[in-house]
Order: sequence, then C-alpha cells, then structure tokens
Amino acid sequence: MIAPSTRENARILFGTLIFFAVWEFIGATTSWGVAMVPAPSRILMQAFADRELYWLHGSATIQTSAIGFAIGVTVAVVAALLFCLSPGLELAFRGINIALFAMPAIVIGPLLVLFLKGDWPQTVLAALMVYFPAMSATLLGLRAVDPRIADLVAAYGGGEGKLMRYVRLRGALPDLFAGFRVAAPLAVLGAVLGEFGSGTRWGFGAFLLSALPQGNPARLWGIGLASSAIALAGYALFLLPARRLSASSTAVTLAAVQTAARSNGGWNWQRVTLAGVSVALPFVIWWLAVTLSHVSPIIAPGPGRTLMFLIEGRQAAGARAALLTALGQTLPIALLGLLAGLAFAFVLAALSLLAPAVARALLPIALVAQNMPLVAVVPFVVLVFGRDVTASVFMAMLVVFFPAYVLLHQGFTTVPRAASDLVSAYGGGRWKQLVHIAIPYSIGHLFAAARLVAPQALLGVMVAEWLLSGVGLGNLLNISRGGLDYDMIWAGALISILISVAAYEAVGFIERKVGR
Amino acid sequence: MNALPAPESLTSPHVPETVGPVDVIIDQAGKTFQTARGPVRALDPISLKIPRGAFVALIGPSGCGKSTLLRMIAGLEQPDEGGAVLVRSKHPEQFRKEGELGIAFQDPALLPWRSVADNVAFPLQILGRPVKRHQATVQSLIELVGLKGYEQALPGQLSGGMRQRVAIARSLVTDPSVLLLDEPFGALDQILRRAMNVELQRIWAARQTTTLLVTHGIDEAVFLADTVVVMHAKPGRIAEIITVPFARPRLPSLFSSPDFHALCDRLTESLHGEDGSQ
Repeated sequence: MIAPSTRENARILFGTLIFFAVWEFIGATTSWGVAMVPAPSRILMQAFADRELYWLHGSATIQTSAIGFAIGVTVAVVAALLFCLSPGLELAFRGINIALFAMPAIVIGPLLVLFLKGDWPQTVLAALMVYFPAMSATLLGLRAVDPRIADLVAAYGGGEGKLMRYVRLRGALPDLFAGFRVAAPLAVLGAVLGEFGSGTRWGFGAFLLSALPQGNPARLWGIGLASSAIALAGYALFLLPARRLSASSTAVTLAAVQTAARSNGGWNWQRVTLAGVSVALPFVIWWLAVTLSHVSPIIAPGPGRTLMFLIEGRQAAGARAALLTALGQTLPIALLGLLAGLAFAFVLAALSLLAPAVARALLPIALVAQNMPLVAVVPFVVLVFGRDVTASVFMAMLVVFFPAYVLLHQGFTTVPRAASDLVSAYGGGRWKQLVHIAIPYSIGHLFAAARLVAPQALLGVMVAEWLLSGVGLGNLLNISRGGLDYDMIWAGALISILISVAAYEAVGFIERKVGR
Repeated sequence: MNALPAPESLTSPHVPETVGPVDVIIDQAGKTFQTARGPVRALDPISLKIPRGAFVALIGPSGCGKSTLLRMIAGLEQPDEGGAVLVRSKHPEQFRKEGELGIAFQDPALLPWRSVADNVAFPLQILGRPVKRHQATVQSLIELVGLKGYEQALPGQLSGGMRQRVAIARSLVTDPSVLLLDEPFGALDQILRRAMNVELQRIWAARQTTTLLVTHGIDEAVFLADTVVVMHAKPGRIAEIITVPFARPRLPSLFSSPDFHALCDRLTESLHGEDGSQ
C-alpha cells in the first residue's frame, strides 16, 4: 500500500515534470514559443551567464526591501497598538490609512526622490507598501478578543491593561504573522516600483528597465522569475511560525453569544470631528513634509500650490487637458480589467463548486500567484501581448484575478453546511445549490474582493503604461519625471490617489447598502 | 428567604428580609437595553437577597433576564438608574477587585494557548497574585475536578466536558466567597451534566461558598439549590421563589425519587405561569 500523501506528492511531482517538459518543448521548438515562452533551459543558461548582474541587482533589491520591511512592520505594529487602545485615533488616521492602502505605489516613487537620497526612496516606498497590510492584520488580531474572555478578565477586576497583556498580545500573534506574510512580497514590489521612480542603477527594477528594450526573452523571464522567487521567499519565511501558532490559538469553541456592536450608528459631534480630521490629516502631513524639508516649493509644492496649478495660471488649461486625456486612456482600461478579472474569478470560483477538481488544481496556484509582485508578470505580458492596450488590460486582469479568486473561493466554501444540506434534502443538485445558496451567500465576498483589488487594477494599468504602452496616466507621470515637470508629478499623483480612494470608498458604500 | 420580621430594614422595603449575614443584595435593579428599534426592557426592577452560604438557582425561559441579573452581580452590567446591587456591602466592581468572586460561563472560555494548569491559574494573574505560591491550590483543584494527569494539556486536546471542568476549577482558584455560574453545564449532554451536578454539589459542600447558578435545567436547579428563583420573560421578572426541602448531601438516587419529581412538576407549573400562557 502506498500512503495517500505519498501518492498525492507523486502526482504533484509528475504534474510538475510534465509541465516543464511541455514548456521546454514549446519554448525550444516553436517559433512563437522561442519569442514568448523561452525554454526553461535557456532561461537558466541566460541567468547563469548573467550571474554577476543578478548578484548586483538582487542584493540591492533584497537589502532595500528587507530594510523597508523592518521599518514598515515596526511602524505598523506600534500603530496597531495605538489604534487598539484608542479607536478615536484610528478614526482620525483613517484617511492616511486608506490613502496608503489605495495609492498606486508607482506614483509615490518620483515624489520620494525629491526628499530622499541614495536607496532611501525605494526603502521608504517598500515600508509604505508594507504598513497597511501589516497594521490592519495586527489590529484585527488585537481587536478580536473572545468576548467571553474579556468578561472573565473584567469579572476578576482586570482592566484594559491586563486584557492587553495576557490576552490581546498573545492572541494577535497568528494575525500578526499572517500580516507579515502578506506584507513581505509587497516590500519587494515597493522596492522595485521605487527603483523605477528613483532611477537608481542597481536593483531588479533597474534591471528590468534596462532589459525591456533588449529583446532577450530569456533574460526578461529570468528577471520576472527571480523577483517572484525573492518575494515568495519572504512569504514563506513567515509561513512556518504562523502555522505553528495557529494550532494553539484558535478558540476551541464558538462564542455562545455575539455581543452587539457598541456603536449605535448615529451621528455625533465627536465622530464628525474625527472624520473631518481624517480627511484633513493627509494634506496636513503633505504640507508639513514640504515645509519642514526645506525643499524648494518649485520642486515640492504644497497642497495649495498643486491645486492652483490645475485651476489658474497660464499652464492650468494645458495641464488639465493633459491630465484629462491621460485619465480618459487609463480609467476605462482599469475598469475593464477590474470587471473582467472579477467576473473571471467569480465564474471560476463558482465552477470550483460544481467541479471541485478545478479548485484543487487552481487554488494552490492562486494562493502563490496572488503574492507575486505584479512587476514580475511584466516580461510575460510584454512578450505575449506586446506594448499596446491589450497588455494594459491583461496586466490589470492578472493583478485582479488571483486575490479575487482566493477571496471568492473562501466565500463559496464558507456557505453554511446546513444551508446546502437543505437544498440537497429537497432533491436540489449542485446547480440549485449554486443559484439559491452559494451565489447569494458570496455576494458580500464579491464586494469585499472588488474593494480590495480596485486599487490594484489601477496600479496594474499604470505600471503597464509606465513601462510598456506609453499612454495614459502612468506614462504622463514617467514623462513628467523625465522632463522635471514637478507640478505635473504632484498633480498626477494627487489625482490618481484621489481616484483610487474614491473607488475604494464607493465600492464600500455599495457593499454596505447591499449588505442591509 | 424567610418571612420573619427583620430588626431594622437593611435597605429598602422592596428587599425581602432574611436572618443572618447576607452576601448579595439586589435592590430594585432593572435593565433596559437601547437598540436601533428603541429601548428594550430586559429586566423589570427586581429585589432579592442571597444569604451567606446559600445555593440559589435562577431558572426561567430565554430572555427572562437571568443572565443579565448574574452579570449585574459580577459588575459586567450596570443596573438602570434607581437600582443597586451590593455584594458583601460593596459595589460589585469594588468587590471583584478583591478576588472574592468566582465566575464560570456557559462556554468554558479558555485561553487556547495555555495549558490546563495555566488556565486555572489565570484569575490569579489578573489579580496580580503570585502564581508560584498558589501552585498547590491549582493542583488540588485540577484533582478535585478529576483532571489529574492533564495539567499540561492544551484546551484543544480536551473533550467538551473536560474543558467545562477546567472552567469550574478556574472559578474556584481564588477561593471565592461568592460563586456565579452562568449555565456552566448548558452545552453538555444529559449524562455528563448529571455527573457534573453531583461533582458541583460535592465541591460546594466542602466550601459552603455562596453560589448563584443560572440554568435552563429544572432537575439541575432542584438537585443543587436551597432556593429556586423562577423568572418570567417579557419583561424579565421574578415570578416565584421556591424553597427546596431535600436534605444534604443529596445522592444521585434523588433524581429518581417521587418527591423530587413532584417538586420538578411544581417548578414546571410555576415556569409556565398560572394562566398557562408561557
């Protein structure tokens, strides 16, 4: 007898071998294969020939992302602790948090270069990308205290201090590591996107920029695979501690009573004030950064000047026209990519319910692929789709699809067993279950997925525009950066962040309306 | 719950008088919750006294406010304006800081990353008492609830009944003078529940701790309590207070005696109300 796990492993090994054999065959023998999907052996040989370049670029990116990661998670954990102790503070920082989450990171690089020297622009961008996922996961862990245990602590006269010390800190560890795990690949992405903007010589971003015009498919693939490998190594680093901890951290019983939400949902002056603060705070910080850094206002204008640049002055009309044209090119594509990616993910997640084999094959791939830095797919996209609009759409779809699929699959699998049993008990098949139970249950997850990936779609399109297609907002920013048109860089960054935040909030608003 | 005229009223005329020391005084304590659809009265203002060393059971349908009452004694809920709860002449929040209160809920609410011994010792840590000095207490409680040999096991490795016994041991670790049990055996099956009832009686008899047990189980209330407080819902109120006459220690054979069943039937009637509308 062969143990089932051994057989499963053998099947995976066999599948992988077949996959590489087919890839090798197509990449080595067909003419389109040679141009688009070069054989693994050629990629490896090219990488070996480039080993010195890999060492120089790789060590730069690893160093930048590691330092950025360390800074980002430190700030994130401290912020999560403060937000946990003071919910008002979290409300006040909501604007900053959402801006950091939704910002298309590629627009931040060129701004950071104006203030920082050396490797710091990339490092800070990596830290900024790390902050939100690490902070929100840690905060979730700190907040998710079993209400019964909170009662227990209170019944023995323990206050918030004891609860934090004995329950919250330990209870948050699995979420903390889960956050770190998601954040680690983002540090690599942040570092690479920062390298695009800073014009540094070393790093995978610089390597990719220099390789794009060379027409060497094997080298491009090598860069994409190597940067994915670094990012996924960061992911894997935090996989083991998280697994270890979760075994001893999940509550063994379900909460018998759900405590009602404390807020009564009404408007009061404190909430309104905090909401106002949260909107104003990002602009205050912008203004402070510009003022305190003593960088010339021509290079680093404050919020007021940037607004004026778009409203009045002799260039305002031209600047507005340029921005509107760019937005007209970028937004439809981002929306198309978002909708197509979501629809594709939804259909596949639903199909996984009808044919579980699909999920078994796709889920492991999606789980890994959602953590791949999106720049890693640039080589693949440019070789297969070229440099036109199709490439941008595909890029957006690709960054949307994997996280959306993972989330939607979760949605479909969390359907209560009793609900699907009810359908079966009345003779309903899988289709009936899908239509009457699974889809209604998963609508909430669809909105959650849309909220999470909408900023990603915009970022994906902008990266494609910056590197490949030469149109739209991404391109406008790249050109302005080259042309030292500082006002335009700031205005473009502001507009794209505002659009991203607006998209995030709009989906959230619809989600709340539908959820009722 | 004696009708003897008291020397001078301890508090207000609403509270029935008793003789001897009183551990818990509930005086016109009601509870109204604010919800999106307006205020909901969970508990009419009620008054009750629990004498020292008594075992009182609170029984009633869902929504009769029996858990709310227990939570008010633990200081986890505040009574509405005009009501008061005193535990040993102190405000509950004051009283519980002294570590004189023991509590167990329907769910064991164990910390999943702590061993049985560390879970039992948890209240000591909250109270800032040295755990090392109480090692012997922790060990003896674990043995008392029949978990010897499981000291280092994690909650995830235990059965439901074993976890509940850990929670009972934990509620006793501070050597409380007042013990609050909120349906501690609610999630257990009938057989295990009876075994735990016998066990709880043994523990209570050894310590004579003033105990308030909230329960759904009529037989559980009759088997364990000196006094059963029957509550009705909508709004929550005390319907009747019934004294249980059986001598202690009560043996498991009591569960099948005709007197026991007669009292259970009497309680059932009281639960349903005279008009039978409940």
